[in-house]
Amino acid sequence: MNRLTVAINAAVAGGNLLKEHYGKVFKERQKESLRDVVTDIDELSENKILDIIKKEYPDESFLTEESGLHDQDSEGMWIIDALDGTVNYIHGIPMFCVSISYWKNMEPELGVIYNPISEDLYYAQKNLGSFLNQKKINSHLLEINKNLCVMAFSGKAHNPKERSKEFELFGLLNDLSQGCLRTGSAAINLSYLAEGKCGLALGKANKLWDIAAGIVIAQEAGLDVQFKITNKENFLVDYIAGSSEMILELRDNIDISYLDT
Amino acid sequence: MSNKKNILVYGAGAIGRGYIPWLFNPSDYTLSFVEQDESIRNLMLENKTFKTFMTTDVGYKELICNPHNCFMPGEENPLDYDGIITAVGPRQIFDLRDTLSKAKCPVLFFENDASLPEKLMSLTGNDNFFFGIPDVITSNTAPQSLKDLDPLAIVTENGTCFSDQGASIISGDIAYVDNAELHKQWMAKLYMHNTPHCIAAYLGAMIGKEFLHEGMINQRIYSIVQGAMAEMEDTIVDLYGIDREFASWYGHKELDRFSNEFLFDPISRVAREPFRKLGLSDRLIGAAQLCLSAGKIPENILLGIMAAFLYDEVKDEDFHIKILIDALDPGDFLQLIINLNPHEALYKVMIDRWENLKNIIGDIENE
Repeated sequence: MNRLTVAINAAVAGGNLLKEHYGKVFKERQKESLRDVVTDIDELSENKILDIIKKEYPDESFLTEESGLHDQDSEGMWIIDALDGTVNYIHGIPMFCVSISYWKNMEPELGVIYNPISEDLYYAQKNLGSFLNQKKINSHLLEINKNLCVMAFSGKAHNPKERSKEFELFGLLNDLSQGCLRTGSAAINLSYLAEGKCGLALGKANKLWDIAAGIVIAQEAGLDVQFKITNKENFLVDYIAGSSEMILELRDNIDISYLDT
Repeated sequence: MSNKKNILVYGAGAIGRGYIPWLFNPSDYTLSFVEQDESIRNLMLENKTFKTFMTTDVGYKELICNPHNCFMPGEENPLDYDGIITAVGPRQIFDLRDTLSKAKCPVLFFENDASLPEKLMSLTGNDNFFFGIPDVITSNTAPQSLKDLDPLAIVTENGTCFSDQGASIISGDIAYVDNAELHKQWMAKLYMHNTPHCIAAYLGAMIGKEFLHEGMINQRIYSIVQGAMAEMEDTIVDLYGIDREFASWYGHKELDRFSNEFLFDPISRVAREPFRKLGLSDRLIGAAQLCLSAGKIPENILLGIMAAFLYDEVKDEDFHIKILIDALDPGDFLQLIINLNPHEALYKVMIDRWENLKNIIGDIENE
C-alpha cells in the first residue's frame, strides 16, 4: 500500500478504537499540566496505528505523542497523534481525532485526520489535493469579519508567564472576526480551516504531532500555512494558517509578532 | 428583423453540440452556446460551424450547425433569449445560479437530476425552471473519420426529447408532456437507462475498453447489464405501476443502444464522477435500495456497484475513490464514504457478498 492509503487505514482503525471506548471509564494520568493528560486509550490507539504503519514501512522513523521519537535515520518520518483532544474525549465532548502525517526531510508530504464521532475523514497529499470523505475541499476567500477564527494555546512546556499574551491575542481575534474558538484540538482546527468552516487558525507552541497532518490538509486546500519549529527539543511549533489575503489583513490589524512564524 | 427564436445552450458538449441542434430547425431558431472549455469555444468561434452526426441503421446522417455565438461563462446575457437549455452536468448547475436567476424565459434542464428545477426555484424565487429528458445517448466525441472532417464532430443517436409542458413556449422538436408522463419517462431513464448504462461503463473500464459498445461485446458484461436491466424493469413495474410492455420495450431498446457500434460513446464520459452516481438516491445505490424495498436482491446491480467502487481513472474528478477503496475496510468504506448505515439492508447485503463480488469483477478483468 502507498503511504496515503496506509495512513488512512491506520487513522480509521485508531479512530474506531477511540469510538469503541468513548464514554467508558478508563485510566488517565496527567502529564505536564491540567490540560495535558493521557489515557490508556491514547496508548491503545497509538499501538494500533503503529502496528499498521510498521507492517508496511518497518524501517522508517516515527515521532508520536506517547512513544516519542524513534529515529531510524530515514529520509522520512511519520508524525502521529493517536488522540488529539484527549480532554474533550474524557469529558464526552465529540471534538477529538486521530492525526497521522508523513514528512520527508522535514517537509510535510501527506496528512490524515479522522474524527470517529462526526465520521469526518480529512486527507491530503502534496500535489494531490485535500479531501473530506468523498469531496475535494478548497479554501474560500472572505474577510476576517465574515469568518470565525480558531486558536490553539500553548502547553506547560512553553513559558507560562507569557500566557497573558495568548489570551490577549485570542481576545483581539474574537473582536476582529465573527468569533474565535478554542476547540481543544489543533488538528481539528486546521481541518475546519481547510474545509472553510473558519478563516484563520493560529497556534503558539503547539506540539508538532498535533498539527503535522493539518498543515498538509490546509496547504492542499489552497491555504497559506506559515509555521516554524521554535523548540526542536520539545517539537513546539508556532503557526498562522489562512488565505494569504486574510493573513495580510490580520497582520495589518493586530500585532501578532508574539507568534514566531 | 429576424422572426427566429433565440435559444441559449449552456454546454457545448455531448448533448449541447451533439443532440440539441437536431431539435431546432435553423430556419426558425438561432442557437448560441456557453462553454467553459476554451479549446471548444475557440474552434466554434473560429470555424463558425460544426457538424453533428446522428446514427442510423447503416451509418450516420449529418447536420451542419452554424452557432450564432459561443460565449465564455459570464459573457452571455440571459435576457437576450427566448429559451435557455442546460446540458453541463448536475454538479455545474449551481455555479450558474446567479446567471440563471436573471432569465425571464423558460430554463430547461437537460440534466440527470429531476430535482434541479425545484432546487433552483427555491434558491432564486423564480418559477421558470423546468426538467427535460433527452432520451438519447450522445457521445462527447466521434470516430476519427468524422473528426477528420470536422474537429468538432460529435455523434448522437436518434431519440425523443420529453420536457415539462411548462416550457412549451420554447417549442422545437420536443415532446412537451404532463407531470405523469414526465415522471414515467424519468423513471425509465433513471433506472432503465442510467443504471445499466453506467454499469456497462464500469464493467467495460475493468477490461480496459475505451468505448461502451466495446465492453458490451464481452458476453459476461452483456449478461450482467441485461440482468441489471431486468432487475430494474421488475422493480419499477412493481413499485411504480409502470406498464410492463413499455418497460420491456424500453429495456430492449437500451441494450441495443449500449451496443451501438456507431456511437463511440467513451466509457470515461459515462463512468465519470462515480461518487455522484453512487449517491444514496442515484442510479446505483438508489436503484439497489429500490430493488431491496421491492423484495429483490439485485445481484447484477450489486456487481455494477462494486465495479464503480473499483473504477480507477486518474483523470476523473473522483479519482480518489481508488485511494479510499484500497485504504478502508469494506464496512468503513460503505459507512464513511458511501454513507450507508450499518443497519441498512443494502449495507448488510454488500458486506455479505463483498469478496464474492470482487472476485467476479476480478475474473472479468482477467479474462
